[in-house]
Amino acid sequence: MISLVKTDDLRKTYRTGSVAYEALKGVSMDIAAGDFITVMGHSGSGKSTLLHLVGGLDRPTSGSVKVADHALHIMSEAALARFRRRNIGFVFQFFNLIDNLTVRANVELPGLLSNGRSRSALRERSDGLLRQLGIADQAEKHPWQLSGGQQQRVAIARALINHPTLLLVDEPTGNLDSTSSETVLEILDACHSEGQTILMVTHDPRAAARGQHVFFLHDGRILDQTAGGSAGRIGRRLAEMG
Amino acid sequence: MRAILKKARADILSRPMISLLIVVTVATSATLLTLALATLMNLSAPYEQAFEELNAAHAWIYLDRERVGRRDVERIESLPGVAQSTGLRYYMTTRADLRGNRVPVSFRAIPLETPQVNQLLLEEGRHLLPHQTELLASTDLDDLYKLSVGEIIGFTRADGKKVSLPVTGLAYNPMWDTYRNDQPPYIYVSEETLRQLHPDESTWGWSMGLRLNNPQATEKIIEDIETALHGDVVESYTDWHDVKRAAVFGARVNFIFLSAFAFFAIVATVLVIASSIGSIVLSQFKQIGILKTLGFTGNQILWLYLTEYLILSLFATPVGLLLGVALSPLPLKSVAASLNTTFQPPLTIPLAALVLGAVPGVVVVATLGAAYRGARANIIKSMAIGAEAPRKRSSRGIRLTARLGLPIVFALGLNDLFAKPFRSIMTGFNLVLGVMGIVFGLTLNETLETYRARPALMGIVQDAMVTRRRTSDRKTRHLLREAPGVEAFYSEALLDVESEPGQSFQVRAIEGDLAAFPFQIQEGRFFRPDTHEAVVGRGLLNWLGLEIGDELTITFDEGPNRPATWRIVGQYPEPTNSGEMMMVSLPTATRWVRGAEPDTYFLRLVEGSRTAHLKEYLKHASDEDLNVMLTKEAIPDDVLSLQFAIFALAVILIGIALINVFNTSLLAMQEKTRDIGILKTLGMTPNQVMAMLNTSAGLLGLIAALTGIPLGFALTQRLLGTLSETYGFGEVHTALNLLYVGLLVPLMIVVSIAGSVFPGRRAAGLSIVTVLRDE
Repeated sequence: MISLVKTDDLRKTYRTGSVAYEALKGVSMDIAAGDFITVMGHSGSGKSTLLHLVGGLDRPTSGSVKVADHALHIMSEAALARFRRRNIGFVFQFFNLIDNLTVRANVELPGLLSNGRSRSALRERSDGLLRQLGIADQAEKHPWQLSGGQQQRVAIARALINHPTLLLVDEPTGNLDSTSSETVLEILDACHSEGQTILMVTHDPRAAARGQHVFFLHDGRILDQTAGGSAGRIGRRLAEMG
Repeated sequence: MRAILKKARADILSRPMISLLIVVTVATSATLLTLALATLMNLSAPYEQAFEELNAAHAWIYLDRERVGRRDVERIESLPGVAQSTGLRYYMTTRADLRGNRVPVSFRAIPLETPQVNQLLLEEGRHLLPHQTELLASTDLDDLYKLSVGEIIGFTRADGKKVSLPVTGLAYNPMWDTYRNDQPPYIYVSEETLRQLHPDESTWGWSMGLRLNNPQATEKIIEDIETALHGDVVESYTDWHDVKRAAVFGARVNFIFLSAFAFFAIVATVLVIASSIGSIVLSQFKQIGILKTLGFTGNQILWLYLTEYLILSLFATPVGLLLGVALSPLPLKSVAASLNTTFQPPLTIPLAALVLGAVPGVVVVATLGAAYRGARANIIKSMAIGAEAPRKRSSRGIRLTARLGLPIVFALGLNDLFAKPFRSIMTGFNLVLGVMGIVFGLTLNETLETYRARPALMGIVQDAMVTRRRTSDRKTRHLLREAPGVEAFYSEALLDVESEPGQSFQVRAIEGDLAAFPFQIQEGRFFRPDTHEAVVGRGLLNWLGLEIGDELTITFDEGPNRPATWRIVGQYPEPTNSGEMMMVSLPTATRWVRGAEPDTYFLRLVEGSRTAHLKEYLKHASDEDLNVMLTKEAIPDDVLSLQFAIFALAVILIGIALINVFNTSLLAMQEKTRDIGILKTLGMTPNQVMAMLNTSAGLLGLIAALTGIPLGFALTQRLLGTLSETYGFGEVHTALNLLYVGLLVPLMIVVSIAGSVFPGRRAAGLSIVTVLRDE
């Protein structure tokens, strides 16, 4: 097994004045290239914090995080930015699209941030992704002119534009109706079947059931992990955690 | 209302930097407005104060000695219109040897004790002492030659002997007319000293100063004197109105420029407020939604923003008012300094009311638009989107930069300009005002340089001027023909004339190698010699309501009282007497004024000739009678200080523009926090974030420079043209150095970027997680 993501005793403490809140309390995990991992947990369990640390958006208080042999916890701000650009694709619950850019501009944005990338190749890639995700006809619209499901598909296209090593997905269905949720999950499945490594955090058992492995995070610690399973089983396990 | 006040207070305190900068901007506007208004309201106040303190004369009359006796002086003093008199004052025109220059001066005998009427204002040194051979110099001599107390001035006595008199002090005469006086600068001596130098009383002129019961009745008193003495006994007179006009001239010019800058500053403030509040409302849309959910009505939201800015302006305006009042003596300095007074314009109720009313009023107007947008915001949209939906065409910047092949960060920066066009226009216009101010200063500077390099544009066509007294005209011409370094010359007789309706002015009657001199004709053509053709100054055309091609009938004061008609064929730049002069051919003029002889000669010198040789030659050949004055400094000092003031004011405008860029960038950064978080998530480096924000600012600077330069130049041309027209000079050749213009463009980009550096750094350092969590 080739390890793509490796965290070792990962801890994160947030401080507000004199009050400290420990969001992660020593998380160690290994994700192999090509895996589809889901992280389950209730609100405040530390799911998003884990995703942020793996994605290099934040730095751990202690412990280490390595992605594709890059030790993110010791990289500079600029190096992290370049790393994210080249290796990570993010999909958020609230889509986080840039409102004053068109759908096409949003999708091409990470590609444009990298110098030296051919514009025609980028256009070809974005057109292909938009077609593949069924939103080619929306390319010249702005995000606020699209439905939630369409916006999430734009976000996925944007995340995939640079052929990321790792796709990080944060509650992708949390803001969508059931039909749109299903479409988005199918797209993620399709990506995975094409070899894309995915780490998804969610509290939706149906979404979690798409993963090959499910990590159960509770109170900043990984309590359990299962090799997939049905949505019902995952839901019950989550309920057991309280 | 309490809720509004509480929220307004919280908003002001939570954005201390922006609040402070708005306070600074509003206070600057209030200061400039106060300065302009205080100058306008007190233009003549320093002169009036000095006039009253010195109990100055309302009319200073020069009497015809052949027609007036000592008893006539008493008759004049007893006229009903005369309140007080200086008594008979002797004077005589002579030459002084001042630092190697033979300069014409007017000896004025003054009493040793302080006179009741027309006291002198001692600016430096001391008054004359009894039995001392010494002098007091007029402050005009100081302005011209930078005299100092203790300096020695040489004179030639009537018997030809040379004497040296020390300067004991410098004094201002409230009846000295800088512009219209046909007398040379005054040297004050005791009657005893005058008698020592020129014992022959018959060579003395007679004059007297009169204080009138009705200060407006100066012309009437001249008529009364001539009626009472049965004749044309008053050779000339100085009217206190003219003196006052000349004294406040400098302050009036200051007022014009201050008004222009106060107007600019207020417009700039409107732009700062409008763009700041616009950005604040946009960045607080989510908060507005929350406030409305809590029960705030649209009107309450409107009042919230109005209250916030009203509070800031009510704090800043009095500060600006007080600062303006404290600085208000400066624009009046050109008057006050010459009078040695430190006139402090008072803080009057009308002044305070105007400033305290106008500035907050302007702030409220500037706030209304954006506050109204906030007030009518849709609750659901505000809560959900957190900002107004962007305009559809906002990807224009992206497309444009893609076409130009520029990096994405520039594209995003450019896109911001198109995404918020109103705010971009506000900030850009603000920068344009700053550029206009600088171009104003640069154009004035370059124009002055042009005029200094080519004095002919000002009507100064000669390299040197020679005046004679005892030497005959014929001999003078002969000497000038033989003199070393003289390439060509023409002579001039200055003749007093009166138009048919009775307007008095002077005519330059000239003759000589006129073709060798670069006379500038702004309209029409130069006159042909020996004809009844004339060229005139713009001031005379305006005054008499004439145009080129019109005929003008005049009567020479010295002539046989027969009217003569001249055809006006051209207009030239006349630098003296507000352009109210006429230039004609001397041979033609002498047909009407027999014996009119030139006493001034204008010289064109061989390039590189040694003027010291010329001076020496003429000094010896004329037995020290001919006096040579070189054309050197043609631009007066006060214009140069004005130029400095304009640059200072332009810097203030740029400062305001910088505040606007800073505010706009900071607010744009706050408003774009979410976008910046997303962009950083997608891999934008801190440097790229800074580059993106700086691109917007730099581009605004570029646009502002490209717009402001032509606008500023056009405005300066218009303003200088209007001023020149007002003062009878005619057309002004405005110039702008292209090198400065070239430097101004990158300078504005740098200035503009400088305003966005701090917000850019803050944006670059934003924590992605915090931003995303706040979402």
